[in-house]
Amino acid sequence: MFTLIKREIEDHIVYFIGAAACSLVFIALSIAIAYHDKSDGPPLVWLSLSIPVGIIVIIGFGAMGAGQMYNDRTKKISALLSTLSVSRSRILIARIAAGILAMLILLVPLAVTIRILLRIFAPYPVPYPVYEGIVTEVFTSAFLMGFACYCIGLQTGFTSSKIAPTFGAIVLTCVLVPLIIIKGLGTHFVLLTLAFIAASLIRTWNKFMTTAL
Amino acid sequence: MSDNVVTIENLVKYFDGRCVLDGISLNVPRGCIYGLLGRNGAGKTTIIRILLGLDFPTRGTTSLLGTDSGKLPPKTKGRIGYVAEAHNLIQSYRVGRLIKLCKDLSSKWNDEFFNHLLETFRLPLERKVRELSTGMRAELNLALAMAIDPELLILDDPTLGLDTVARRQFLELAIDVLQRDGRTILFSSHILSDVERIADHIGILTGGKLVVDCPLEELKNRVKKLRLIFPETPPLDLHMTEIINQQIQGREMVITVANMNPHKQAFIDTFKPSNCIEIPMSLEDIFIECTKSNSRTLAD
Repeated sequence: MFTLIKREIEDHIVYFIGAAACSLVFIALSIAIAYHDKSDGPPLVWLSLSIPVGIIVIIGFGAMGAGQMYNDRTKKISALLSTLSVSRSRILIARIAAGILAMLILLVPLAVTIRILLRIFAPYPVPYPVYEGIVTEVFTSAFLMGFACYCIGLQTGFTSSKIAPTFGAIVLTCVLVPLIIIKGLGTHFVLLTLAFIAASLIRTWNKFMTTAL
Repeated sequence: MSDNVVTIENLVKYFDGRCVLDGISLNVPRGCIYGLLGRNGAGKTTIIRILLGLDFPTRGTTSLLGTDSGKLPPKTKGRIGYVAEAHNLIQSYRVGRLIKLCKDLSSKWNDEFFNHLLETFRLPLERKVRELSTGMRAELNLALAMAIDPELLILDDPTLGLDTVARRQFLELAIDVLQRDGRTILFSSHILSDVERIADHIGILTGGKLVVDCPLEELKNRVKKLRLIFPETPPLDLHMTEIINQQIQGREMVITVANMNPHKQAFIDTFKPSNCIEIPMSLEDIFIECTKSNSRTLAD
């Protein structure tokens, strides 16, 4: 399994470098904000960073999922790998694990940095746990959103028909955006996104296991 | 327990409503070199892909080393070497990296044998796979398949793109593999002289059906081509079972008969041909006769 994950990382290294670079840029921005803009309360400014982070997560990881599967299909990588001592399920699990790893490279260092900065710069008298809760919620949502887009990407890259993934993306957007606007990020958002991810993964799994390589 | 390494039962495959394989059944016993022949599009590659679980049958069952092809566990796959028709290697990789990947993903790897093959083929490790010639890619693919010391070697037109020397090396390697206990080779090829040289069992596919499935020597003994010269126009009512092909030109009739025996010879003699000559047939001749559109089945 480690070999397969390593292969996925090496083949799609650009996404990992991109994720690390974005993470570094956002960390630098957060630190700069913390030191130069204390007057209005840095937490709110930090939260505004979630918009570009969200956009990068949506576009970047959607592209990564599509890229991984498209490469596989056109270069017949799985056709070669599955004639070695490897099952199709392992190939797919390794691929998804690499996708998750790229998301964590982007989000975890940023989340940790913002938490540390909040501990130092959180404006009194709002208690620190409140901010901590917001940060956890924002980053969990960003991760789930990225993963959902990654799943759409996986499907788009593997099937020649783009109708189902496009339909899935439209439905997801139509449901999630009003939900975030009306109810904010929270349990509803998490459950709905998790359900979408599960449905997407089942479809991708089924397609990958039953399609001629 | 059956000693068949490859088993195919009533295999049917449709592509977009078109029947490519129509009820194929064949067995490859352990230690056999089975040559699968057929014209382009006859379904040889499809059979091999279904056997390896890369594609799925519409109907029927296939198994390798006693395991259903659709459910081959990694351990069983590790006992099968495969050389794909177009040498499906990852083109963007350097040769060295591809070798390392295959080695890391294989349950067994014979370093000594593989290095010997690398030296024989003189493969450049630093070059990208796409920069290799077709012949070199074939050699690399073959070396990777051989390195796992396979119990079963499946070769899909492996000599395609190889020069004469490399083809000879390949054949020698195939024989070398077979000489190890219990090794089996299933291979398809367009180069019939190669098949004739190493195969001991032959299958000929045409029109989605397996029209020949028997040992090579038996095939040569069973199929006879006769030139019959008659004093006048050849009789149009010379009908008998198992005539694969029949051509009439002037006073001459050329017939290719399967399962030739004294009864058939006696029947032909009743038409009183002035001359009856047996035309020697190579495997290529038999193949051409069997794959003509009006040919009939010879399968057991």
